[in-house]
Parts: sequence; structure tokens; C-alpha cells
Amino acid sequence: MSRAHQLKISVAGVRGVVGEFLTPNLACAFAQAFGTYVGPGPVVVARDTRASGEMLVHAVSCGLLASGCEVIRIGVVPTPTAQIYVADIRAAGGIAVTASHNPAEYNALKLFNGEGLFFNRYERAELLDVYHQSEFRHAVNEDMRRVVIDAETAPERHFARIVRHVDVEKIRRRRFRVALDAVNGAGSRMSVRFLRDILGCDLHAIHADPGKPFPRDPEPRAEVLGELSDLVVRARADAGFAQDPDGDRLAVAGETGRVLDNDDVLALAVDCALRKKKGPVVVNLTTSSAIDDIAARHGCPVHRTPVGEANVVERMRRAHAVIGGEGANGGIIFPSVHYCRDSYLGMALLLERLADSGETLNALAAALPRYWRRSGKFPFQHGRLGQMMQALEAALPGARADRTDGLKLMLEHGWVHVRASNTEPLVRVSVEARSREEADRLYELAASLR
Amino acid sequence: MTRPGSTLRISPAGLRGIVGHGLTAAHVLDFAAAFATFLESPGRVVIGRDPRVSSVMMREGVTGALLAAGHEVIDLGIAPTPVIQHSIRRLDALGGVSIGASHNPAEWNALKFFTRGGSYLSSAQSEEWLDIYHLRKFRFAGYAGTGRRSEDASAIDAYLDALEAVFPLDKLQRFRVLVDCTNGTSGLILRRMMERFGLEWILINEALEGRAFVHEPSTTKKMAELQLAPLVKTVGADAGFLFDIDSDRVAFATEQGEAASEELVQVVIADEMLERGCGQVVLTNLSSTALLEEVAQKHGGRVVRLPVGRQAVTDSLAGIPVEQVAVAGEGTGAVMMPQQFLFVYDGIAAALRLLERMERRGQPLSALIAGYPAYTILKGKIPVRTRFIPDLFDDLEQIFPEARCNRQDGLRLDWEDRWVHVRVSQTEPVIRVICEQRGAAPRRLFDQVMDMVRSYSQ
Repeated sequence: MSRAHQLKISVAGVRGVVGEFLTPNLACAFAQAFGTYVGPGPVVVARDTRASGEMLVHAVSCGLLASGCEVIRIGVVPTPTAQIYVADIRAAGGIAVTASHNPAEYNALKLFNGEGLFFNRYERAELLDVYHQSEFRHAVNEDMRRVVIDAETAPERHFARIVRHVDVEKIRRRRFRVALDAVNGAGSRMSVRFLRDILGCDLHAIHADPGKPFPRDPEPRAEVLGELSDLVVRARADAGFAQDPDGDRLAVAGETGRVLDNDDVLALAVDCALRKKKGPVVVNLTTSSAIDDIAARHGCPVHRTPVGEANVVERMRRAHAVIGGEGANGGIIFPSVHYCRDSYLGMALLLERLADSGETLNALAAALPRYWRRSGKFPFQHGRLGQMMQALEAALPGARADRTDGLKLMLEHGWVHVRASNTEPLVRVSVEARSREEADRLYELAASLR
Repeated sequence: MTRPGSTLRISPAGLRGIVGHGLTAAHVLDFAAAFATFLESPGRVVIGRDPRVSSVMMREGVTGALLAAGHEVIDLGIAPTPVIQHSIRRLDALGGVSIGASHNPAEWNALKFFTRGGSYLSSAQSEEWLDIYHLRKFRFAGYAGTGRRSEDASAIDAYLDALEAVFPLDKLQRFRVLVDCTNGTSGLILRRMMERFGLEWILINEALEGRAFVHEPSTTKKMAELQLAPLVKTVGADAGFLFDIDSDRVAFATEQGEAASEELVQVVIADEMLERGCGQVVLTNLSSTALLEEVAQKHGGRVVRLPVGRQAVTDSLAGIPVEQVAVAGEGTGAVMMPQQFLFVYDGIAAALRLLERMERRGQPLSALIAGYPAYTILKGKIPVRTRFIPDLFDDLEQIFPEARCNRQDGLRLDWEDRWVHVRVSQTEPVIRVICEQRGAAPRRLFDQVMDMVRSYSQ
């Protein structure tokens, strides 16, 4: 990978390879910019289980304290848990030290406002300006605040919000047999407590040791979840769940061990949510059309946004959506709990649906509208993307175009979406169609034009 | 003059400044990262802090920088500097960092760096550390090699074990001693010493404070006069001590309620050590009292005078066999006894040594002090234009052709019974004038020199 992308300071925050690129000095300065931006007040600091996390938490605390903020350290917790904690205590903001699903050598600072939400794009740009101008607030000893440690209450605050929205007793009565792969991530202990103690499952967990390194590629995709699939079969589990290191993404395996498509998981979750309460649904442009079909069954509208959790959340708030998410990423956002991607809420919703319906996961998935999907990514040269999009549009005359994030061309029986990645120098191509042949045709077409 | 925002001072021992006005989080990270790089192969590093709130911020930054370099951080929490140095040796660590601004007011803070054995950085080492800082080429360990942090709550007890091996603590139980802790770290040690060894310390201003100290944490005679001396007599104590925040300096007052000159701490300890045959050499700086020469002569010892600042002492100690050094110190109440208690300035050990002398001689503190001939010291400071400083020294040397002249650190002129030292401060943009005479105050000499210096101040 090129050196330039081993560190990325952007409106999304700071992300990079720890060591020469993402240094404690940089983390401290960025945190001081953050503290300057949110103003003096409590700022919640959480981290995932990466080896570099402890170091960065100290550097971040230094910057926050120097800016006059109080630091509330809640230890190793998933990102949604940290976001909920921020909202719960009405903090001035929050910083999660996590590179989410990125490989172990990366780390990053995820930034949240006082409501535990992503800043809007204008705020993010402002914060970045503060950082670049180095115009930090420098607290003097008299105004300086301290570090407060709360290593206990964060998970319980999160659970308390979830159990208000699912029928815990109904789930407990079924005593589901559940397999879990927690990737030795931030959710390791918490997921065991949630599934075993709160939802009363017969839990078979692997990789739930936060002291160990990631045992697999931390992004929970079917190709890397072989161990979970085997465990589901061996334990004759009703469901298998896999998380990413910061517990926002969820992958789900059915009772045969087959890992469900993330779009299907989101579709199931949307169905669950709309059964509880009707209302708008918000998903990104790359998410399956199955969402539209399901929402239509419930008589609910669907809004589409550019890719990115912050975009989806922003639109959800405007639309007063009852559920949202990003299909391909395995992120389910259920605003009654919090406007964040939350693997715990996802697990609870699906188990509740199993209990309600008496069906198996595979049966529920089989009943979803059937689409064929393909996606891929290609390196591309700067300046080439526009030509590719023009060529694609010319090759598919009569398609309806959406240009809010790259180019999405919608045809009668499918669509194709090409866009530049937010995080890597890649172009991402996604297609979906009613038939495998049509999906392949669209994908090959897009791939041939790059 | 000092501009706001320019209080940062880098010295061979570390850096200090007013937090938020010169000393920033970025400095903490950069200088600590330079130190972490300087220590080379990853290993143990001991850190501790004083009670200032800003010390928490600095601890976080220091911890982050050390962990990033792959070091194992052992955090002693709030700990006196001598205890940190002792733990570096005890834990066979690569080095350590003391976070705290010692005798400076509450808004200040500082980082002091130590190497193996708890030693101060030599001049060569500190230059290397600064070179790394200036290059900004820090060595980081990468994601898999970042260090781990642990806490060690046993540091004070281990330090007390070492004190117990050197001092006859059981014999010191009979003294009733008043101590002003100035809201600093000395209370932690003394409270524990009371519990473990039954010493009778009456502690005032013991509560650790983060934002404001009950009084300025300096160990001058003036402070002891104001804060300590009157109380010693009131509570009927045998002695009174006053510590700075990190307990490396001490001032004292007698049972009669008399504050002693800060110069006397090293004098009494030199007397005691030389009398017992513990070494022959007294290391001190050019600004300290000439009474030291008189005391040394009495025991056949000698005084080695060095430029002001700990660096000169540290460098000089490296070249003298340790068994020859009776005491090394400065007239600020900072004294070390290299043979018996590490190479560290330690106010607690100095206080114990004074008590031990009272016990051994069977004399009250006032009588011990009365045994020394009177010397009177006058001190002044004047801002000058840096450009003219060399001219000033040349002119001074010319008007006093009869005096012995020493240009090691500014200008020192010596006569039979008096001397004057004119030097540039390391901590403020001023010229300091220190003038001492056996007996009465050297008023005429002092005024003459001050006038001369003042003529350069415009």
C-alpha cells in the first residue's frame, strides 16, 4: 500500500498505521483540537482491544486535558456502547479509539458530539480547520480537569436501552443455542454477558478473549467466518453471530452454518423493526432493493443516502426513520436505542424474530425477496473515475441515474453503482439484479470499463 | 523580559514552564518521545507525579509517548522525586520521569528525566536527548510492540526500607518534629514513616493539593521564617522542617522558633559526614556559603566549587570516586549524600541526617546552629541587556583588581573574609548578585556591585 494512505486525516477523523504514521503526538494534537472544538466539559474516551489502544488512550487523554476537558475513561467497550454512554451522561463529546474492521496494524479516532452522534459534515470540516490551524485552547493548571475512570457502567447502560425495545422474556424462554465469534474484540466480555445472561442463550463462544490478538480478518465476511460456521454446525446452534473489533458490525450465520448475506441481515432487521412500528427506512445507495420491497409490504417509504454511517444517520434524523443501515457493511441502526450501528441490537432483534415466528433463520432468509448481488473493488487512477462513469451511462441507455455518491444507474430489473472508496484509493462497483445472468452482465460491463 | 507564552525553559535536567502559557501538551509528547527514543532498547521506565492537576495531563502524554516506543511504564502515582529515583534503581529500570514543578508555584510544571540507577542525565546524555527532540525523529515500536502500563504502590515502602538501612530511625523516635508539607508529596512518606517506625511527625499542610498550595513551595529562610518557625515553638517541637512539592529540598527551624539560613542544610550535613570520616570532598556551587570551607578545613576536607545548577554537580560526581564525596549540594536546601543514599537530592534524607546529628551530639538544634560562626549573605537580581553581559563582567573584574577572580560561571570575586558572585540566571532573564561576608553584612560591596550591574540594565 502506498505510504500516503498509511495515515489519513480527513473529515472522518484520523486513521493510520500505528507507529511511524499514527503517532501519540498526532493523536494528542488531534484530541486537543477536538477538546478545543467541543469546549470544556466531559469527554468520553473508549477503545477496542488493539494492542496500540492503551497508548493512544493516554495520548488522547493528554490532549483533551490540555484543552480543559474532563476525561471520562470507560475502558474497552464497543463503539455503540461508547456512543450511548456519551448521550447518557450528556458529555461534551466522545472519542472511540478504534479502527473498526480495519486490520490490527491500524488504529483510528472516531469522534462523536455530545449526543453520541457523528458530527455533521460542516462541523467535521470546522474541527479539521481547528486542527490544521493549531489554534488550540490551552488550559492553565487552575482550569484543568481530571481523569475519571468508569470501567463498569457502560455495558449496562447499553443493555438497558436495548431491553426496552425487545421482548427479553420471550427470547429467554426459547433458550436459543447461539454461536459467537467476538474476534477478541471490544465486545468480547460484553457479548458473552449479553447473550448468556441477559438473553438467556445457551452460548458457544469463540475468540472472546480481549487480551488476545484478532484471530481472523477483523471484517466479519463469510470468507473469514469458517470457524463460526463449523461451530454453528457442531453446537447445533440456532444462530451464529460474528462481530468486528468495535462491535458495530454484525454478521449472521443460519442454523446450517451458512453466513447470510449482509444485505439479507439488514432486510430481516428492517422487517423486524417495521413489524414493531411503521415509519420511514433509510439505507445507502448500495443497499439491496429488497429493502424497498419489504418497506412496501409495510407501506413505508425508503430514503437513500451516500455511503457512510454519518450520511445514513443524518438522513434518518431528518426523516424520523424507524430503522436504517448499510447493507454491505453489516450495520443496523435502530434509533429507539441510539443513532448508531449496533451489533447488540441486531442480535436481539433477530432472536426476537426467531422467537416470534418459530421459524429458522434460513427459512426467514429464504422468504426474503430474491436478488443476485455482486460487488468488487479495483485500484484506479485519479481522474479516471469520471470517464468510467460516462462510459457506463452510455452503455446503459434509458437507465435512471442517481449522482449523489458516484453514479448509480437503475434499470428495470437491476442496478449498478460505482463510486470512489472513502477510505482507500479504490473504485467500488456494486450491482444487483433479479437474475444471476443480469447481475453478471452488469458487473462485467462495469468492470470492463474501468 | 518574559513574554506571556514564552515561559518554556529547557535545561539538561528536562523542561519546565507555565502550563498553557509556554508548556503545552505537544511539548510533553515531543520531549517525552525524544526521551523514549534516547533510552533505546525497550524496557522498564518508572514515572511518578506531583499533586498538581496539570501533572495528570502530563502523565497521560508521557505514558502515551513511552508506550508508543515500546517501553513498559511503571506508574508510581503521586510520588516524591527521590522515591521515583529510588524505584528506578530498585526495579532496574532503564530510566524514569518525574512530573512536577518542585519548588515552583502551582501554575508551573516540569518534566525531569533520569537514566539507569536513577541518575540525572549527564551533559552528554542531555545533549543527545535534545538532538533527538530537534530532529523530531522519534522511534516508535509499531502496533504489535506498543508497551504496557502497570502501577506500583510499593515504592514508598521500598524507599523507607532503604532509609531504615542508613538511618537509626529507632533513635529518632524521641524527637517531636513539626513538618510543613506545603501540600506536596513529603506527607506521603512521613505519614508512612510514622506508622512503620513510630517517629513523631506533626504534619501541617499535609493534604495534597492540585490547584493552589497554601503558600509558595520554596525552601528559603524567608519562607521558613514566615510559615514554619513560629509554630515550632508553639507546639514545643525539637525541630521544624519545610519541604517543597517533590521533597528534594528542605528548610528548617530550631526548637527556639528560629528559621535557619537555607545555606546551613549543607553545612551541618557536611560537618556531620566529614566528622564521621565519610569522605573528604564537599561539592557545592559558587554561590554557596564560604562557611563550607571553614567546616571542611576543620576536618581536613576540601571544597570543590562548581557552576550553579545540578548539571555541574552531576557531571563532576562522575569524575570523583564516590567514597571521597562527603556531600554534594547547593544553598537551596537541596543536598545529596552519594555514599549513603543514592545520587539524589533528597530533602527527607537531609532532614533525617540533621535529626541524627542532634541525637549523636546530644544537642538541641539551636545549639548546633549556634556553634557555627555567623556569615551574612545578601542576594539581589537585576534584569540586564544580554548584549552587555560580557562587558559587565570585564568591568567588574577591573574595579576589583585585588580580588581573586573565578570566571567558571559568570564572575566570582574572593577576598579574605568576603566574596561576591555575579552570574546570569538559568531560569529568569536576570543577573543575580550573591555577596557574603564572615560576620556582618557586606553592605558596601554589595551596593557597589549592584550599582554597577544596574548601570547595564538600561
